[in-house]
Amino acid sequence: MRVMVTGASAPLGAAIVERLLAEPGVDRVLAVSREAVPPRVHPRLFQHAADLAHPREVHDLIHGAATLHGIDTVIHAAQHRDPHDAGGGAHTQTVESARWLVLACAAHATIRRFVHRSFADVYAQRDTTPTLIDEDAPLELDPAAPQWLRDRVEADLTVRAHHTDRLQIAVLRLAELLARDTGSQLWDYLSSRICLRPAGFDPIINVLALDDAAAAFATAARSSATGAFNIPGRDTLPLSCAIAQSGRSCVAVPSSVIAPLYKLRRAVTGLAFRYDLNVARFHFGGMVDGGRAARELGYQPRARVVWPRPWWRVLLQRLAETRC
Amino acid sequence: MAIADARSTPMSHAPLPAARVAIEAAFHDEGYGYDVFGLHPPTLARVLALGAPLYDRYFRVSSSGIEHIPSDGPVILVANHAGALPLDAAMLCFDVLRRTEPPRIPRAIADRFVPRVPLVGTLLSRCGAVRGTPLNVARLLARGELIAIWPEGTTGPAKRFRDRYRLQAWRVGFAELAIRYQAPIVPVSILGAEESWPVAGRLGVRWFGAPYLPIPAWPLPLPAHYHLRYGAPIYLRHRAGEADEPAAVAAAAARVRDVLARQLEDMRAARRGIFR
Repeated sequence: MRVMVTGASAPLGAAIVERLLAEPGVDRVLAVSREAVPPRVHPRLFQHAADLAHPREVHDLIHGAATLHGIDTVIHAAQHRDPHDAGGGAHTQTVESARWLVLACAAHATIRRFVHRSFADVYAQRDTTPTLIDEDAPLELDPAAPQWLRDRVEADLTVRAHHTDRLQIAVLRLAELLARDTGSQLWDYLSSRICLRPAGFDPIINVLALDDAAAAFATAARSSATGAFNIPGRDTLPLSCAIAQSGRSCVAVPSSVIAPLYKLRRAVTGLAFRYDLNVARFHFGGMVDGGRAARELGYQPRARVVWPRPWWRVLLQRLAETRC
Repeated sequence: MAIADARSTPMSHAPLPAARVAIEAAFHDEGYGYDVFGLHPPTLARVLALGAPLYDRYFRVSSSGIEHIPSDGPVILVANHAGALPLDAAMLCFDVLRRTEPPRIPRAIADRFVPRVPLVGTLLSRCGAVRGTPLNVARLLARGELIAIWPEGTTGPAKRFRDRYRLQAWRVGFAELAIRYQAPIVPVSILGAEESWPVAGRLGVRWFGAPYLPIPAWPLPLPAHYHLRYGAPIYLRHRAGEADEPAAVAAAAARVRDVLARQLEDMRAARRGIFR
């Protein structure tokens, strides 16, 4: 198997690359990132810089480097990470780049499989939505939804629409990937000393560890199963418990004042967390059901997440472990 | 009683029912003491302890036929529903928790608006209540849980006092799931809730998505004597495929309704008075 991984300089892409390199069945990994990264010496690893927000670069990547390396599987793990970006640029990075990539792959001579990173956010949260959301649940198609969510839904649907006999497509809808620099809203939220929670609500959430996410992509690359797959994590707990696990203070305030307070906080500290993107989740949870991924991909969450604890707590914990 | 206390105190006598729930009741822990629906047995035990005076002294709940609830596997309790607030549902859940051996946690199927209500939605989910969607109920049955359903929905509590103990609009989804998962149905008739706290009127405001705001006939519930009767389990001997046949499902639901209505009539005839 010869695999190309986009977004390889980001934590998830890097973890996928490492995972693939550890697998004996993978002959070659082409790691694609936007900026040139320090070269890493590995006999099966090749690095390439390309900005997927430009159709010419996408074309040249697929018909140049991918052809040169005889790539047969593409893992599109690159994502736009700043939720405050809006407009055409953000849309291009999330939707158009995925479209150009999948179209180029569909026309390619050797690429037969395309694995796309999607998100659990794509599901609509209604009072009819079950606690565990399966792949058949309705997507968030409300025109009033934030662009961040609409773009993710559009990218998900766009990629899935290009499934053909020649190009197998698997879309992995990841639960919240709780890791630094992955664009995780929850990581950013839990990194604050004080976490504001809507008063009267304490939803059950599910979070995914980086190792499990990488394992899911590696498994999906090997498999021949197609369609959408939910990828849940191993940690399922109430939001208040996640805040406590992160060593933060939880303050319950009326829902209506949380959004302005976080806007103010962003203006002061530059945090990326946006409450309007998380309103439904902070009231009703919304966990994805991984039954289909377990059955068809053989994916099972195994790893616990690393909570964004303050540095002094981590230090104390390590000291205690050393003493033990 | 806090659970830690219950565990650390030497058991010179039988543990309190509230503590038993946290210690003995089986549930699907996801690793942090909660299940995916939000159930948290220590919270449930605390609520049970706090509600004990209501159950024991105020409503003096008496029940019969608890042995009809199988000790394991999927079971559906189907009950009548009345009252300005769902105290009948709470008393039923209390009764099941306190009288089943080993204790089984009933998963009350709540109306869809309930999770939207601040505090109430969260507290109920910690006590085992689940948002009433077909997939949620199916998932609970698939993993062999005991669920409690009130097929009248909000029409039961909304009925006029002169219609008391007459079953209202009867949803059939429970029958479909009972056939699909081969789950026995235990009809549970509840006497007392209708007189304890009837609804005098309804306000058409839709707070938190609720269909109406009930106006109770009196500010607090009267201490009517609650009687619960668990009927013999009904095994719907259908093929699982018949769960998709509307006629079979409707007939099964009507059968359960008839049994429950008869049970209610028998209990009313045998009752000596509202407060006795």
